[in-house]
Amino acid sequence: MSTKRPPFLGFGLGLRAQHYREILHGTPKVDWFEVISENYMIPGGQPLRMLDQIRERYPIVMHGVSLSIASTAPLDMEYLQCLKTLAERANPKWISDHLCWTGVHGVNLHDLLPVPYTKEALDHVVERVTQVQDFLGRRLTLENVSSYVTFGQSEMTEWEFVTEVANRADCWLLFDVNNVYVSAFNHGFDTAAFLNGVPRDRVVQFHVAGHSHEESHIVDTHDHPVCPEVWDVYRAAVAHFGPVSTMIERDDNIPPLTELVDELDHARRIAAEVLGAKRMEAAA
Amino acid sequence: MSGLKALQESFQRGLLAGDDAILSEINDSAKESRDIRFGVYRNAYVLRFIEVLSSDYEQLHAYVGDAGFAKLARAYIAAHPSDRRNARDFGRNMPRFLGHANPYAKHSELAEIAGLEKALGDAFDGPDAEPLSLERLAATAPEDWPRLVFVPHPTAIRLTFTTNTADLWSALHGETPPPKPRRLEQRQPVIIWRQDLMARFRPLPPEEAMMWDEAAKGVAFGVLCEMVATFAGTVGAELRAASYLRGWVDMGVLADCRLAPSPRLQVATGLGPGNSASLLPVTQ
Repeated sequence: MSTKRPPFLGFGLGLRAQHYREILHGTPKVDWFEVISENYMIPGGQPLRMLDQIRERYPIVMHGVSLSIASTAPLDMEYLQCLKTLAERANPKWISDHLCWTGVHGVNLHDLLPVPYTKEALDHVVERVTQVQDFLGRRLTLENVSSYVTFGQSEMTEWEFVTEVANRADCWLLFDVNNVYVSAFNHGFDTAAFLNGVPRDRVVQFHVAGHSHEESHIVDTHDHPVCPEVWDVYRAAVAHFGPVSTMIERDDNIPPLTELVDELDHARRIAAEVLGAKRMEAAA
Repeated sequence: MSGLKALQESFQRGLLAGDDAILSEINDSAKESRDIRFGVYRNAYVLRFIEVLSSDYEQLHAYVGDAGFAKLARAYIAAHPSDRRNARDFGRNMPRFLGHANPYAKHSELAEIAGLEKALGDAFDGPDAEPLSLERLAATAPEDWPRLVFVPHPTAIRLTFTTNTADLWSALHGETPPPKPRRLEQRQPVIIWRQDLMARFRPLPPEEAMMWDEAAKGVAFGVLCEMVATFAGTVGAELRAASYLRGWVDMGVLADCRLAPSPRLQVATGLGPGNSASLLPVTQ
């Protein structure tokens, strides 16, 4: 299994069907694309054709939503085989999914559900990540999720849990800047505590996204532009972690590609201001 | 494991069955009570699946309106919890559900519109296959024509409507007011398939539908000609059969042709080399 740290890819976007034509017929200023794995775990047709064409021009990263790594249901080997087959076709720089569960007893709730931060859950997740990595023959990248509840039985903080998973399972981390902001607001912790709490050498990707503010809590909806507060956390994250492949995540109210490219340019500017242009170029 | 497993089961029951037992495991936040926070997951669960169904059944949604669709979708969600990793599979039981569940079953066009939309969705990302070319068909030796059998394109799906579903769908798709639903005096066969990466459908005349259904079972062309002759008269039967076949090639609804193993089929049809050789060119 390759343990080499994935490369710094620069600034990317989530690949969305609405933008296929613009991507293939133009030269958008996007360094790489992240694809939702499940959207391409299909027999054939246009989505796979587009993926084949886009991956010839841009580096690709696969991002799943159904691995359910923390579920107590058995690992879905059929799903993992489909994931592996897609990876052989798409040749992604890395494969990510979420540090969460999505259902038990054969049900898939299609939500990124929260995990209690217990030693029992930690042992369980570490064992499962190890199994998945052995099956895929590569390190997995795990993302922290937004959450709306905390459990009475938790024995550690989220960042302690994430750190233990990464170190013990020997996997990479996707640091979702928006999710840290959302969970920090919802649960009353300091984003700096999370940021300083996870191992710098494990973080290989940033997600930046918008959300919906419901006054007393925030919902991670990915349907708005990135807000100034999240950009502030991004700025701090770049300062702390250095050059990390950055992606704008937009899943609803999807605007024209140019609008997202403009937003991506904002991330570029922040990274350049924090790190200096030379260091960004060296990392690339 | 029992703690995590029990918590996940309880959490899932809270989402699927409205069971509040999970609330005893959740902390109140500084800003809100635990039931409001858990409610974020409850609301998201239903809304997410309504959105998935609305995307998969866009014309059905347009036909019954927002309120009607939300009610219908909630009934479906309650009857069919998601059991697949891919959200695209969630609505796959909709046509059957609408065909059996009251009050929807009383309106046959609902299940049929859903059936058409599902078939179009399945064709859109169904398996890839090169369509059968006219050149390949024309290269068949004249004496072999009666033994030709045809392989449908893997995306081809045959449906039969009892109502004016095709007209309803077309009006809805064109964003024009749909006609009143009505039961047809004669059932309407349609074929759905993918051509040039687009999912399409076309009503079939009864004779062509009969020939297609038999061809899809692997019946050889010579026998198909006999069947066409029996269906609507011997005069011009071979020409009609050849015309249908030519249409299928133009539509890209066939993937391959090959020779049936038994030469007896040629004898059985009474079609000699001279007759069969003229079939295709006549219709060009």
